[in-house]
Amino acid sequence: MNVARGTTMAIETRGLAKRFGSTWALQDCTVCVPRGRISALVGPNGAGKTTLLRLLVGLREPSAGQALVLGRQPRQSEEFLASVGYLAQEAPLYKRLTADEHLDLGAYLNLRWDKVVATDRLRALQIPLEPVGTLSGGQRSQVALGLALAKRPDVLLLDEPVAALDPLARRAFLSSLAEAVAGGELTVVLSSHLLHDLERVCDHVILLAASRAQLCDDIEVVLESHKCLVGRRRNAADTGAAFNVVKAVHSERQSRLLVHTKAPVTDPTWEVSDVGLEDVVLAYMGDDGSVTAGPLSLVGGEQ
Amino acid sequence: MNQLIWRLHRQQLLFAGAALVVLGVVLVVTGTTMAAHYHSALKLCAASRTCAELPDELFQGDGFIIDLVSVTIIVPLLFGLFWGAPLVAKELEEGTQDLVWVQGVTRRRWMTSNVGWVLVAAVLWGAAMSALVTWWRGPEDVLRGGRFAVSFDITGLAPVAYAVFAVALGIAAGTLLKRVLPALATTLAGFAIVRGSVGLWLRPRYLGPIRASLPLVNDGSGAPPGAWVLSRVVASPAGHIYDPYSPAGIPAACHAAFFDNSALSCLAAHGFRRLVTYQPASRYWAFQGIEAGIFVALAAGLVAISYLAVLRRDA
Repeated sequence: MNVARGTTMAIETRGLAKRFGSTWALQDCTVCVPRGRISALVGPNGAGKTTLLRLLVGLREPSAGQALVLGRQPRQSEEFLASVGYLAQEAPLYKRLTADEHLDLGAYLNLRWDKVVATDRLRALQIPLEPVGTLSGGQRSQVALGLALAKRPDVLLLDEPVAALDPLARRAFLSSLAEAVAGGELTVVLSSHLLHDLERVCDHVILLAASRAQLCDDIEVVLESHKCLVGRRRNAADTGAAFNVVKAVHSERQSRLLVHTKAPVTDPTWEVSDVGLEDVVLAYMGDDGSVTAGPLSLVGGEQ
Repeated sequence: MNQLIWRLHRQQLLFAGAALVVLGVVLVVTGTTMAAHYHSALKLCAASRTCAELPDELFQGDGFIIDLVSVTIIVPLLFGLFWGAPLVAKELEEGTQDLVWVQGVTRRRWMTSNVGWVLVAAVLWGAAMSALVTWWRGPEDVLRGGRFAVSFDITGLAPVAYAVFAVALGIAAGTLLKRVLPALATTLAGFAIVRGSVGLWLRPRYLGPIRASLPLVNDGSGAPPGAWVLSRVVASPAGHIYDPYSPAGIPAACHAAFFDNSALSCLAAHGFRRLVTYQPASRYWAFQGIEAGIFVALAAGLVAISYLAVLRRDA
């Protein structure tokens, strides 16, 4: 493996797969996230987002393929565990302990622990000094995020951190995260089945659907390389030959395509327009959540 | 790690500590009184040569405390239920393994600290309880020789080994079943089955019992004092076992004596013997050692299974 690349990529997986019994939760997943990115891991429910994150933090063993986090395979070593922060779905905490007691526990369990900053954050958020079992979902998530950040990890993996929160708490959580990440070298991957939540804070996107990675790139690049074409009705074979079609809608008189293209579209019979990230993601997922037969050429490593 | 365990389990420890203190106070107070009675009674009976009649008088009025002491037989099981079963299962049930297994401590170290401390607690509490009970029962066990036959399970090394086994069983059940309630049920059933089958079936066979053919005397088993008597029958000179509920098979001369106290002496006169199978008192510590060894070995196996399950678990 190329050493220089290993140091620029915070996360890199090759052919990563995980099977539970006879069903594949994740298949042939090849993605990479450069250092310093905040990556949105999106996909419909059951697409394998949680499985991917748990493989990356070493809570699960891959059935095939390889995962590298900061150039190392996830494993049970104090060095590896210290470099990766993970916030599981529903932010598990010890219900009978207070937020401050959790910070104490973190200090016992980690060599690197930023207790002062974490305590200040909790005070600023006015988290009550009660057992966390009595706190609201938003407050619990903030406590759990505080724990994950106090570790000062190089890579932070957040699994559906805002799924259970109301819109206000969601916004508060994401701005806490953005604040904590600002200016640092921290790489973040946060998953959600709603892209909308993440678009504001993320600059990178990984799309999982049907247990495979459909898209993995900087959001900027994704937006530049996808175009919406509208023109007179053509048949699918022709458009398929001319473009890398992600999604096509043919009505009686016109065809509407979402294509992946790096070169500008010169054919004047097409009306070309830019697309939003949500359009692209939905196109790859299919509007009904199922995956359309799209190109996998965008997926990881091809840069 | 140690601070984490203290913080998460200190309530259980303090509760168990309080229970132990209460038991200790009750037993020390009553035991001291009893020992005083015992010693003064020994002086008196030695003077009047009536020591054989002592035990029945000595422990009258102690019914509740004797029950309390007998009830300590279930305390190892309680350790298994309250300390062992929830140890891993509670984390898995509440999802907190996702919090604690991604901190800067490997799962191996997490498991070693947790299992290590709970086993240490089981040994300390088990030993303290056993020491108290052994001391408390001292006078009675000396007088009645009941240490081997009656209080084997609550004195000496055995309770400590039971505590270790119960905790290990609880940990393994919790680790494999991942839920507290099924783990509790499994620990309860498993402990009862293993303890029962070892106590009733295996223990009498640790060492070959001694079979003695003794003359019929009016009272007592005939076995040496302090022995654990496994069986005791009356047999005819030809070796037939005599059924005490039927006069058949006994000499006609003794039929008349069957319903009064002279039956035994009549049978003795006709050559009947008492056949006794027993484990002598001198084997008490050997048996305690074997019993403890069996349960500690079982515990070691269960702990090893739990380790493998936690380290290899696809969480």
